[in-house]
Amino acid sequence: MRFFFIAIISLLLSGFASAQMNKIDFVEYDLDNGLHVILHQDASTPIVTVSIMYHVGSKNEKPDKTGFAHFFEHLLFEGSENIERGEYDSYIEKAGGTLNANTSYDRTYYFEILPSNQLELGLWLESERLLHAKVENKGIETQREVVKEERRQRIDNQPYGSILEETMKRLFTKHPYKWPIIGYMEHLNAAEEMDYKNFYSDFYVPNNAVLSIAGDLDIEQTKVWVEKYFGSIPRGTKEIYRPNVIEPEMTGEVRDTVYDNIQLPAVIQAYRIPAQGTPDFYAVDMLSTLLSRGGSSRLNKTIVEDQQKALTVGSFPLALEDYSVNLAFAITNMGIDPSEVESSIDAEIKKAQEELMSDEEFQKLRNQMENDFVSSNSRVAGIAESLANYHMYFGDANLINTELDRYLAVTKEDIREAARKYLRPDRRVVLYYLPKQNNTP
Amino acid sequence: MKLNYIIILLAGFFLIQCSPKVADKMEEKVVEEVTTNTEAWRSSSPAAGPARKINLGTFNTFDMDNGLKVIVVENHKLPRVSYSLSLMNKQINEKDKAGMVSFLGQMLNSGTTNRTKAELDKAKDFIGANVNASGFGVFATSLTKHQDKLLDLMTDILYNPSFPKDEFDKILKQNLSGIESSKSDPNAMAGNVAAVVNYGASHPYGEVETAETYNSISIKDCKEYYNTFFKPNNAYLTIVGDITIDEAKANAQKYFGDWKKGDVPNVTHDMPARPDEAKVALVNKDGAVQSVVRITYPLDYKIGSDDMMAASCMNSILGGGIFMGRLMQNLREDKAFTYGARSSITPNKLVGNFNASASVRTEVTDSSIVEFLYEMNRMASEPVSEDDLQLAKNSLAGSFARSLESPQTLARFARNIAEYNLPEDYYSTYLERLQAVTVADVQNAARKYVTADRANIVVVGNKDEIADKIKVFDSDGELDYYDAFGNKLEQMDTPLPMDITGEIVINDYLKAVGGAGKLQAVKTLESHFTTEMMGQAINIDMYQMAPNMMAMTVGNGQMVFQEMKFDGTTAMTGGMGQSQTATEGPVFETTKEQAVMFPQLSYKADELELKGIDNVEGESCYKVIVTRDGKSETQYYSVKTGLLMRSVKSEEAAPGQVVTMTTDMSDYKEVGGIMIPHKMVTAGAMPTPMVMEAKSIKVNEAIDKAMFEIK
Repeated sequence: MRFFFIAIISLLLSGFASAQMNKIDFVEYDLDNGLHVILHQDASTPIVTVSIMYHVGSKNEKPDKTGFAHFFEHLLFEGSENIERGEYDSYIEKAGGTLNANTSYDRTYYFEILPSNQLELGLWLESERLLHAKVENKGIETQREVVKEERRQRIDNQPYGSILEETMKRLFTKHPYKWPIIGYMEHLNAAEEMDYKNFYSDFYVPNNAVLSIAGDLDIEQTKVWVEKYFGSIPRGTKEIYRPNVIEPEMTGEVRDTVYDNIQLPAVIQAYRIPAQGTPDFYAVDMLSTLLSRGGSSRLNKTIVEDQQKALTVGSFPLALEDYSVNLAFAITNMGIDPSEVESSIDAEIKKAQEELMSDEEFQKLRNQMENDFVSSNSRVAGIAESLANYHMYFGDANLINTELDRYLAVTKEDIREAARKYLRPDRRVVLYYLPKQNNTP
Repeated sequence: MKLNYIIILLAGFFLIQCSPKVADKMEEKVVEEVTTNTEAWRSSSPAAGPARKINLGTFNTFDMDNGLKVIVVENHKLPRVSYSLSLMNKQINEKDKAGMVSFLGQMLNSGTTNRTKAELDKAKDFIGANVNASGFGVFATSLTKHQDKLLDLMTDILYNPSFPKDEFDKILKQNLSGIESSKSDPNAMAGNVAAVVNYGASHPYGEVETAETYNSISIKDCKEYYNTFFKPNNAYLTIVGDITIDEAKANAQKYFGDWKKGDVPNVTHDMPARPDEAKVALVNKDGAVQSVVRITYPLDYKIGSDDMMAASCMNSILGGGIFMGRLMQNLREDKAFTYGARSSITPNKLVGNFNASASVRTEVTDSSIVEFLYEMNRMASEPVSEDDLQLAKNSLAGSFARSLESPQTLARFARNIAEYNLPEDYYSTYLERLQAVTVADVQNAARKYVTADRANIVVVGNKDEIADKIKVFDSDGELDYYDAFGNKLEQMDTPLPMDITGEIVINDYLKAVGGAGKLQAVKTLESHFTTEMMGQAINIDMYQMAPNMMAMTVGNGQMVFQEMKFDGTTAMTGGMGQSQTATEGPVFETTKEQAVMFPQLSYKADELELKGIDNVEGESCYKVIVTRDGKSETQYYSVKTGLLMRSVKSEEAAPGQVVTMTTDMSDYKEVGGIMIPHKMVTAGAMPTPMVMEAKSIKVNEAIDKAMFEIK
């Protein structure tokens, strides 16, 4: 689950379908009910990944019913009309497979990796989830408690665990990205069975999903099975709610302090940047690489190695569908004032805005990104997900082979321009994380 | 590396994901029609198709003139290649320098005679490569097109390490911080003790790394090990990826052909023996609310052992990787003693091991051991069902198949075949041998490898709560006590002299530090301590005035990070431009307590409970529990000197989050007729223990009262 984010990063970096990379072949088509199907055959290992990506994330929630998308991810392991409670798991284990799921601001993703002779089992399980999952009070009650426990474990009790939540609620005032994926507990508490049923019938419909299957499969046989298990699932009748919220440009810097159960202070700088897939997003992505990828990157070399002001420092873009975000952060060394670290980060950003990088550094950047991209599709599970992502967000699954060109089109000047245009001190959120005062040393 | 940590941290929130299997206590079922379903075939799961044949692929091996053994796995799926050089010698005894081989690995990454560490970093990043050395070899990978640069870097690290002194100092410091944090980590404690009781201190696996062993390591030791063992005739070179066998041969020759062979000593060790009986080893962790239970022993069990397949199935059923293992079902699903209970049976070329473990609630420590032993015994005494065996086979076959997606797996197989003299088709017949395992095979493997009555039962937990209850599991009824680093403690169970009480211990203490009269005459106390955190020097300055005023600052000379005052009625805490005052509540109570110079003066007999005699850092101490205002603190007073050696206190740092702080006091020196500890080490509150050393301590010198005023 956690490496998943790294997968997203690699995906962003995944521009480099260079001539030397083996092309990823796939077929794609729509069922009559609108389900988009992508099949990629790779028989080198007898395993297959069956996945469904639903185009619903926390941004599709209503402002007074936050947390539903993630909650559904839990709920949809509860069972279906034909799958008893807790059996999703045991079916997969008995078949020698593994499974998991995750939720982001923009989509929800479920997958199984199975021995390839169990492909039909995976299709059955996923079709059950889409056709008639069990959404009933008992499951809702149980999962509500589990989600609360999850929130305690991941956010409240995790040092620096609230960074994203604290950042996003200041970076966005109107757009649904402002609320946390896990949602506000009072919303989950207040929700009734009907709310859940509506959410399920609104978003868990074939015309809002991508079924992506990769691995050791027979294309024609798989098409027949897909039709059998998914063909009769009715298309959703309602229009799918996609927020069209314009977030006004920030008019000044937002600066705040958060007290947390931590030992060392941290500095966070967050900027709104363009949506994923736009030319400027690729430029910011490369800018972040320049700043923080590898031991020789600018922030690491200057602040961690030479000045020894920070224990760790980084900058990376969160790729999102409506507006993306670039997050820079540093955990200070003991005894270093966060403002000192912040001014060092600012100095590096200023340098990126004023000076053009050397050809050598630019080449390093391209080499790093090419390396990450080429390495990213080494497993069929990753390929299934990338294909689904590219289709869902950009309507072009073939970007898995061609997105390279978009990165290669970025120039040194574009990167400098992106730094000037988007990493503006007067349009950002700056947070200091400080230790809660209560313990004597 | 560091970046990854944070990315991983943030990832948890960007993408929130459940673990699908959750404890589900509500069994009642309400079946409700959500949509109408008329497709009757849906009601049962589809059958599996015929299993596909697994094609492992091929590998090549050849030996070079200098003795280097080369394994090549050709796989052109991605335009990447990796070179892995790994030593084949058995692990050596590091003795009082435990950790030396690991230091050497870190040193190899820290500079060559051609490149500084910064230059190495830059060169690696320029080609987007990963190059990483350890004490057992060097791993390097990049896109195929950069492989010449990659090999140039890799071999520079391999042949020309410069062992820079400043980098060695950095490495020492980082490792010392790391080892300190393991003092309070119960799993690290259990690991240390398991290593010692399983293998014995004379076996390399039984050597425990400590601050002392780190401090004994020199650059010279690292160089010596490097010069002795980094020889081609002591190594495998594994080349995997987008490369042909001819290219691989050419590169091996070009980059490794001139590497000079040398004599490498033959390292041998005795095979550690399984214990003859059940032995319980206890590590005390004051205030622990959970116990780590680990049932473990050494096994003569190697890759290629005849019954390996049966043993894997057996372990899978008992408590292997799958959720349906018996230990998990019993201890978690049925009894809810723990979040997870698992077992493993691990082959190793020196000595293998069996391990079954869980973290369990303190009050069910003994019940958990009962269940562990029950499940272990059941494996040996009862045949498993065909269904259980099939599930285990499916699970193992599935994970075998998934592992093959990485070409590194095949390289590992090739290396095992060479190293353990396995038949060439050992792995290509893996699944057939797996399917051939019978219920009887599993039971035989269990009888051979799962011996509940011949095992080390290592428990880390709160001794006062569990010691009496777990004695019964030891064959002779006697517990062995160990410290966090696996040192055996002799004096844990010394019986108490009849005539000693808590009050007497406190009175002896008061006498030892100078007498109650002297203490009562102290009007002011000024203490200046220094400590270090993350490489920064920190000052702690504390002023106290009778009866109960206190002012303290923590800073680095330029700025104050934290300050705390108590003026007799109000508490103030602040720092970093923030401050708050309190006249009640937990902050107030803590601050008020801090303002009392010698709390022992006011202890009452009914607040004291003498628990026994324990060993603290090698010294016999009376253990006294002091309970005041509903809060308890455990204090250890030396039997010999009467001085306070340790105090242990648990605080609720945040709701539901209890922090246990252990402070050790030492280096008592006399100031103005009073014995005051000049060194204090506090562990548990922070990731690494804080070592405070007194710069100066003054008694009864004038202090400006304004200092305590709260504005």
